[in-house]
Amino acid sequence: MKKIILLLVLVLSTLMVFSEEVITLNLIEAFSSPWRTPTLNKIIEMFETLNPGVKINVISPPYETAYQKINLMISTEQPLDIVEIGDWNLSTLASIGKLEDLTPYINSWPERNDLINGVLEAASIYNNKPYLLPHGIFVKTLFYRDDILAKYGFKGYPKTMKEMYDMAKKLTESNKNQYGFDFRGKGYPTSFIDIVVTSFFDDIDPNNMYLTKSGKIIFDDPRAVEALNFYVSLYKDTAPKDSINWGWDEQVNAFVSGITPLLFQDPDTTGMLNEMIPGKYKTAPLPIGVSGKTYPSFGFVGWGIPIYSKHKDLAWKFIKFVSSAEINGYWSKAYGALPILKSVYDYDSYFSSDIFKGWKDMFNDTEHYQFTQYPLDNENWGKWNEFQEKTMQQVLLGKLSVVRCLKEWTDFWKEAGLDK
Amino acid sequence: MRKRSFILLMILPTIILISFIIFYPTISGVLLSFKNYSLYNFGNIQWIGFENFKEIFSDIFYIDVIWNTIKWIFFSVLLQLILGFILALLMKEPFKGRGLYAGLVFYPWAVSGFAIGLIWSWLLNGQFGVVNDILMKMGIIEESINFLSDPTIALYSVILVNVWYGIPFFAIMILAALQSIPNSLYEAAEIDGAGYFTKLFKITIPYIKPTLVNTVLLRIIWVMNFPDIIYGMTRGGPAGSTEILSVKMINTVFYESNYSLAAAHGVIIVLILLIYAIMYLKLTSKKEFSI
Repeated sequence: MKKIILLLVLVLSTLMVFSEEVITLNLIEAFSSPWRTPTLNKIIEMFETLNPGVKINVISPPYETAYQKINLMISTEQPLDIVEIGDWNLSTLASIGKLEDLTPYINSWPERNDLINGVLEAASIYNNKPYLLPHGIFVKTLFYRDDILAKYGFKGYPKTMKEMYDMAKKLTESNKNQYGFDFRGKGYPTSFIDIVVTSFFDDIDPNNMYLTKSGKIIFDDPRAVEALNFYVSLYKDTAPKDSINWGWDEQVNAFVSGITPLLFQDPDTTGMLNEMIPGKYKTAPLPIGVSGKTYPSFGFVGWGIPIYSKHKDLAWKFIKFVSSAEINGYWSKAYGALPILKSVYDYDSYFSSDIFKGWKDMFNDTEHYQFTQYPLDNENWGKWNEFQEKTMQQVLLGKLSVVRCLKEWTDFWKEAGLDK
Repeated sequence: MRKRSFILLMILPTIILISFIIFYPTISGVLLSFKNYSLYNFGNIQWIGFENFKEIFSDIFYIDVIWNTIKWIFFSVLLQLILGFILALLMKEPFKGRGLYAGLVFYPWAVSGFAIGLIWSWLLNGQFGVVNDILMKMGIIEESINFLSDPTIALYSVILVNVWYGIPFFAIMILAALQSIPNSLYEAAEIDGAGYFTKLFKITIPYIKPTLVNTVLLRIIWVMNFPDIIYGMTRGGPAGSTEILSVKMINTVFYESNYSLAAAHGVIIVLILLIYAIMYLKLTSKKEFSI
């Protein structure tokens, strides 16, 4: 009898195991890398352990073609439940009506109020609706080498653009290969140029960095002439001539070697610096412009749900899990992005260190730092990056005047219908 | 008839394979150039006729791109030919350590163009570049040269790296041709009292002329379609001073994410090469060169 009962129990339990329905969610990531993808896989393992019967299948296309693959998969309604979307392809996907509006989910999410101010608004670039929940944000801040500044008698970091220029000029001794500012001339220098230029304005549209609040294109304003002249001086008087050809690699190298101790960069730079010059650098808020304001922008990447997904609630459960304070801190540390929740900056010793002072102070100072957005939903946005880089380089080389350049920029955005 | 059917059946897999691998992507690329397919316009892809081509030819920088391409091809191929020829001549005669020497000479050919571009972008860096350091320590220059950021010399800097990269190809081709020249020709010339240069211009060059012509003509196609080094070193900058046609096409994809416009750039490159290939075929279809 005992044997029969034992056999029955065995058969029943085996049947139960095999009859349990396993739900598979398909997730596609956009920024696969040898450092980030393993972290994502670990988070997925944790989620699967906490949610038996759920399996997440990760699709990791090569970074270079990921946006195209994601756009294609979603537009042709291939089986996807969670999709990673960047600020650059959000409008494209939302405009074809393939993304779920996450408003009801986010509104019922307890950690919503812990989100950094402005993040959700920044992510609502299409129809003012959040079609994704960011899991990491990118904001430029001022990195500085206090050891080098101290050598030249400076006790702190520059608080204003003018102070930064003066400091960088004093640091510049080209015969000793010592310069002040870590300039960026190539490889998407857009946000760097625009931080400097908009700091001469006090009326930038919070929804569009290239418009004033009255709807005028900023490059068509006399203040832009002053701003761009300042930008050119920053290059000519404080930066190595070679930096017109510098992208991220060269910038970081120059900062690490101490040649240029003042740098505007994103948080993902910290990973490299922590390895190469631990304890030798700090961050400070971006210097304030003559207008009394500075306009950083949020770069972001997040998770969205395709409208045709059959497991939307489960997909949201995963997104919620990844965005919880504990996981978001772990994820951001491994990835080099800034956490989206304010509480992470307090409880996690890594994010409460001096390294993150620049960002923390900017997030808390809403009087001087007004976050604004790029016209990412404009069709000409991609073209703009190359055009701005090339024309700006011509200005720096003296081949194009500041006034002519600004006219070209104004015409570009007028043709793109920005001022309508 | 059965034999012909059998032959057709045997080559059918090749025809199908070539159709899929070569013809389909080519036709698809040409069709793409007449659409508005870009990352920012995914929901509304349409046939737009010649709009992409109009945009390319109305670009005020396009003439600079063409001019850069001509300079890039001319100087790269000319210097590669001259230096490759000299190297081949030096390696023709057996000497001690020739194997090692040949290995060193052919080394650049074994490395990827992108890697070479990245390596040289650091070597020529104006601030921490080894080249500047060596030149300064040798007392040749007093101030570092901005090889890649000075628009007047940037193109020549990338050409120089391309020359360094391409010499082995010419050296290999010419060396093979040199080794096919019968020694008896030189012996006869020596008996007649011919000097080194007479032998070079009257025997060596005429004998290997077909190889030289073919190599130069093929190399021009490769150099035109070789963006790797420039992309790794300058991405076409500063201010477009090193931008050639193939780099422009890559920039259109990576910066603008405008695939149709990039395809239109590709079609223009193909058309230029097609004209060139017809000329090339006409030239090479002539009878063998005689000495």
